[in-house]
Amino acid sequence: MKTMARLLLAALLLGALKFALAADPNKVLHWVLPRAETGFDPARVHDYYSGSIVENIFERLVTYDYLARPSRLVPETAEAMPQVADAGRTYTFRIKPGIHFAPDPIWKGKTRELVAEDYAYTLKRFVDPALRSPWKFLLEGKVLGLDALAERAAKSGGKFDYDAKLPGLEIIDRYTLRIRLTETDYNFAHILAMPTFGAVAREVIEAYAEDTNAHPVGTGPYLLKKWVRSSKLLLEANPHYRGFTWNFQPGLEAGDQALVAAMKGKRMPQIGSIEVSVIEEDQSRWLAFQNGELDLLNMEGPLAPIALPNNQLSAELQKRKVRLNRIVDPEIMYTYWNMQDPVVGGMSKEKIALRRAMAMAYNVAEEIRVIHNGQAVAAEYLVPPGVVGHDAAFQSNIRFDPAGARALLDRFGYRKGADGWRTQPDGKPLVVRYSSRPDSQGRQFDELWAKSLESVGIRIDIHKDKFPELLKAEKLCKLQMRTGAWIADYPDGDNFLQLLYGPNTGQSNNACARIPEFDELYRKSKTLPDSPERNRLYQRMMRSMEAHTPWRLGVSRYRNMLIQPHVQGYKKHPILHAEWLYMDLEQKNGR
Amino acid sequence: MSAYIIRRVWQMVPTLLGVVLLIFFLFNWIGGDPAYVLAGKISNPEQIENIRRQLGVDQPYWKQLLIFLQQILTGDFGASWSTNEKVSQIFLTRLGPSLTVLVPILVLETLIAIVIALGVAYVRGSLTDRLVMVACTVGMSISLLVYIIVGQYVFAYKLGWFPVQGWGESVSENLFVYAALPVLLGLLVGIAPNTRLYRTFILDEINQDYVRTARAKGVSENRTMLVHVLRNALIPIITNVMAYLPGLLVGAFLLERFFSIPGIGREVILAVERSDFPVIKAVTIYVAMATMVINLLADLMYKAVDPRVVLK
Repeated sequence: MKTMARLLLAALLLGALKFALAADPNKVLHWVLPRAETGFDPARVHDYYSGSIVENIFERLVTYDYLARPSRLVPETAEAMPQVADAGRTYTFRIKPGIHFAPDPIWKGKTRELVAEDYAYTLKRFVDPALRSPWKFLLEGKVLGLDALAERAAKSGGKFDYDAKLPGLEIIDRYTLRIRLTETDYNFAHILAMPTFGAVAREVIEAYAEDTNAHPVGTGPYLLKKWVRSSKLLLEANPHYRGFTWNFQPGLEAGDQALVAAMKGKRMPQIGSIEVSVIEEDQSRWLAFQNGELDLLNMEGPLAPIALPNNQLSAELQKRKVRLNRIVDPEIMYTYWNMQDPVVGGMSKEKIALRRAMAMAYNVAEEIRVIHNGQAVAAEYLVPPGVVGHDAAFQSNIRFDPAGARALLDRFGYRKGADGWRTQPDGKPLVVRYSSRPDSQGRQFDELWAKSLESVGIRIDIHKDKFPELLKAEKLCKLQMRTGAWIADYPDGDNFLQLLYGPNTGQSNNACARIPEFDELYRKSKTLPDSPERNRLYQRMMRSMEAHTPWRLGVSRYRNMLIQPHVQGYKKHPILHAEWLYMDLEQKNGR
Repeated sequence: MSAYIIRRVWQMVPTLLGVVLLIFFLFNWIGGDPAYVLAGKISNPEQIENIRRQLGVDQPYWKQLLIFLQQILTGDFGASWSTNEKVSQIFLTRLGPSLTVLVPILVLETLIAIVIALGVAYVRGSLTDRLVMVACTVGMSISLLVYIIVGQYVFAYKLGWFPVQGWGESVSENLFVYAALPVLLGLLVGIAPNTRLYRTFILDEINQDYVRTARAKGVSENRTMLVHVLRNALIPIITNVMAYLPGLLVGAFLLERFFSIPGIGREVILAVERSDFPVIKAVTIYVAMATMVINLLADLMYKAVDPRVVLK
């Protein structure tokens, strides 16, 4: 009996080892973060770069298919996609049995299996007032009973009852979690695919409560081996990760077939360790990449034209067989006008004409050339490329047309005074206040907007302030006009259209717009899953936005990934932050 | 001597209080509300209020000031608002890399500048003197940023003599491999102004009567320069070197950023970008205290170097 038990144990160990062996410790990927990370507690950190590490340590119920475009959800720790019932109000997930957390001293040499309760605990953390999670908004008002639990905690001096049974988070059995929502939300699975919703173990969080940012323990493919804050990280393949066989289907994009041919059938992950360096300066990153110290580099900023003259790889890089993978980031940059402002806001024809004229006076092509060094495309639609609901055929009605802008202003009573500047229809002086940060890009936008507005006779007042103060004023609807950006939290148009939804004023609706027509269409769109019907609503919302012009759409920026020749299987995913799990490295001498 | 030291330490108290008040009011009125940054992409008023309550910035000003004073007395500035890392831990881990770069720069640039200054002062008015002074003027006119950008490109990337960036595990590796180029560039920037300054100090002494007397008495030129002139020129030199010392606590931001050195300079800039008040106030207080202590040490050193100095 003892021998049998030993044999069984040996077989189990070998099984575990098989997955561990797939990752070759000699394969070391050299990755770079252009900004310092802040930590690795998924519920606490909200910067993109910490998110890229979190994404590889913790696992969500669902994730994205590596090659499918637009992005498509697939199960991660769930056995299958969730059963969605009750018109998008109930999601039932069944977790794969046998998934284990990475080893940690608190388990005294053992590990623990991931169960449904872990996800319930993970979700509850986001509304714990003591945690002050920057992602709270993703669950606020959504899960039945969760807000009430948070309120009770706030009233009882911060004591959060993690053991409370909630109607919205029902544990059906060890592996099954049923989430009940307060209202229809067909995007809820997208929300749960965000890295921030990776499962954490309650005992780990409680054991390291002093600094949960420094003790990430998840079920994901990599674990944090070493961390020199703001400088270096070393991640190693998690020996308890279950692994998978690379079997993604090629899409229609160029290069997909070759990528599949190189990777198909490989046991993943292949890469044994990831060395992450924080390099903040453009030149340092660029030289380090050219020196072979980095395996991939997002080529952005003022040096991009050197590596990518005419948006093509330079001859030098081509000679070195460096490859380029270029996508349009799922983001939009836009300039908004405060719809509650007495000068530029409001729904009267004169006010709409004023905003429209300012939008028409602005040259997006110049913004791309001067501010983004050619590394951006004009945004025509509220939903950017690569995001569900994007309409590539849509043409915005608002074009660069200074002559048209001047005519519009003349027609609606914004006449030029003796000093050459336009006045308001009631004869009061017209001065538009543009707010920006005191940095180099802020100054470039100041100059471009000043040039644009002055070209149609509108006097501009540039207001500089620190970022926190701008945010504060923005949330209180105190700014008149500002340029901002929004990158997708999840790849669905809803994430962008909510930026103009009236009730989101003071939160994400920076224009403080309350456009009844738009709001009605938005509410209707929320009740629909992705469909032609919802797309039609999106188009009408876009036209409604143009008609009232609370925004001038700007650009979506390119992400230019330079890839060293020995890197295999890499393709930038629009939503996933760091694709280490799907890549391989050709072994090089001396590496 | 003891009475002098006690008096000077006592005088530090009002100065420190002034610094505390200044940093406190600057942060509260100019620094911006950190809650809006920490709240993330989308926040609501309740969330902002919750964050302000947890950070303690919703308290009356007098109470916040009291907590600040308590932190100074205990030396416990709490944890960073954005990373949750203990402020003391930030200093412990980031000061080492900064000192690895800045101490060699300070020591080498002082020694080299003194040697060059002595040499050119001795041959003042000669072609060598004029050439060195022109070189120093040119060197001083170029910004550190240019030295770094060109130096990193030429010495690290093109010639491959140094790593482009990075930081290692051991002190020796860091000192001789990763810090070598930053130190070299720091020296290029620092030697020129110091040489000019020290030359002036030395020339002031060379023209003194006691030098003429020494020479008349047949004292060798080496002894005249190294013992008599240098010793007397050391007082302003020490003042200058001491003025640099508190700067070691805030690191060399540009060198650290370009060469990815995990020093305190980078951390301070990150703290400012993130409105991370616990880190900012700790740095400011430490620098203020270091400045006062170093000034006291400088005065004591004057006495050691020149016994004629009377401490009052």
